[in-house]
Amino acid sequence: MALDADRTSDEEGRAAAAIIKPLAGAIVAAKNPEGRRDFFATCVVVILLLVAMEITSRFVPDYIMPSPVAVWSAARELFFSDPYHVAVTLVRLAISVTIAMVAGVVIGLAMGIFPSARPYLKAIVVIDTGIPALSWMLIAVFWFKNPESRIFFILLVILLPFYALNVYEGVRALPKELVDMIESFRPSRWQVLRYLILPHIVAYIFLTTKSVIGYAIRMVIFAELVASAVGIGARMNLAQSTFRIDQVLAWTFFLVILNLLLQAFVNGLERISLKWRSEATVR
Amino acid sequence: MAVGGDGKMTEENLIEVRGVTKTFGGYLAVDNLSMDVRRGEIVVLLGQTGAGKSTVLNLIMGTICPNSGQIRVAGFDPYASFKALKGRLAVSFQTDRLLPWRTAVENVELGLLILGKSRSQARAHAREWLARVRLKDADDKYVHELSGGMRQRVSLARALAIDPEIVFLDESFSQLDHVTSRTLRRDFLQIAREFHKTCLLITHRIDDALEMADRALVLSPPAKVALEVCISDEARTNPHKIADLHAQIASAMGGESQIEH
Repeated sequence: MALDADRTSDEEGRAAAAIIKPLAGAIVAAKNPEGRRDFFATCVVVILLLVAMEITSRFVPDYIMPSPVAVWSAARELFFSDPYHVAVTLVRLAISVTIAMVAGVVIGLAMGIFPSARPYLKAIVVIDTGIPALSWMLIAVFWFKNPESRIFFILLVILLPFYALNVYEGVRALPKELVDMIESFRPSRWQVLRYLILPHIVAYIFLTTKSVIGYAIRMVIFAELVASAVGIGARMNLAQSTFRIDQVLAWTFFLVILNLLLQAFVNGLERISLKWRSEATVR
Repeated sequence: MAVGGDGKMTEENLIEVRGVTKTFGGYLAVDNLSMDVRRGEIVVLLGQTGAGKSTVLNLIMGTICPNSGQIRVAGFDPYASFKALKGRLAVSFQTDRLLPWRTAVENVELGLLILGKSRSQARAHAREWLARVRLKDADDKYVHELSGGMRQRVSLARALAIDPEIVFLDESFSQLDHVTSRTLRRDFLQIAREFHKTCLLITHRIDDALEMADRALVLSPPAKVALEVCISDEARTNPHKIADLHAQIASAMGGESQIEH
């Protein structure tokens, strides 16, 4: 019994380690020399920026450039007063990216699988990529009363083309040899999708998510600023209107860190999902 | 036996090709080809590169349509009744064509899942087949963790696991080194005989044909049967007969005989 408990605990530990290790690996310096160099360089740049802030703050008024200490105090204050707004933004981000991902993947797959629908879907997606984000934000304000609907709509129309086009490229990049192989078993269309196409495009979905995550954070903040009274964007708007540049900078640093954490999270998920890939290194 | 057959479809023949012609644009790839493969027989299609071997295989598998002539596989037109042959044919290709995101055992169970077996049934059956091709300990390895020979074994196991009536091997051993290729050929032959499989093998290597085939058809461009030879087990054990067959086939292929030792 005790042995069983130990084994279960061991297995749980290994499972937890499998998830945490890649995340920790991305946050803490990587073991390889290149990772250590990157981490060191990032630390140097951050320190230089802080020094520059400190020096500048001594020569200009506080509302132009507060000292790092003042920004740190503002960050501590926000940490206790505004966690609700952070949570709202994160939930909005998660829901919006998920909706855009699902819709983009469906459209990308349809573009890849149905040749007759492809030109029409492609035209819609390409036209969408040409519409500025600001136009969508203003349109959303006219079209939707509910702030949540506005934000989800804005993120959907902005992120969808990235997923659709990349998934379409993924379907196009399917090796013909593998298609012929699976066709030799005479599968249904659904079986081809399930056993060949969907696993193949997972890498493309991760690539897109990593590419758009920073952009998505910026867009959700911008959308909150334009279309909502809660969330980090709304709080930054409030800080700006009350001349609290220390809070604006505190939010900015938080968003940079959030971006890094989300990138690390997506990287960790990618490593777990694509563990079958052999890592090639070029000398 | 007559090369072209007599034009009648018989129950004994699992594959029947009658007067088939195939062109790609203006290029004549197959010219009035007739051949058949009997139930339980191992037939090798030999020919140099460009002789039309793969086109013939694609026609028989039903992935392309002939311009004229008739093809019957297990009683069906393989192109018109493509789905009717589900589970009755399997192919092992020149390259392993394994899905890199699946482990060895998951690759083997692919065909079984497509046939509608439950995951547990498919997994158990796939493990049995991996053991049969001597890969018992490689079940959970991903494709990049396997050697070329191991991958080809997984590919063979994937084809055989669905228990097809007809197995097609498209140059399946040609990319392996000499020793691995010979071992794999022998293992395959043993399995094919044990499970009474009807096999159509495509190769440009005469030694493969002499070692495995009951009958060898030599194709010359554009995919016409230039020579048909029956190869008995007795002939296989007689070096003189083997050398003679080798020379005949090499001559029909338009080259010189170089026996593999």
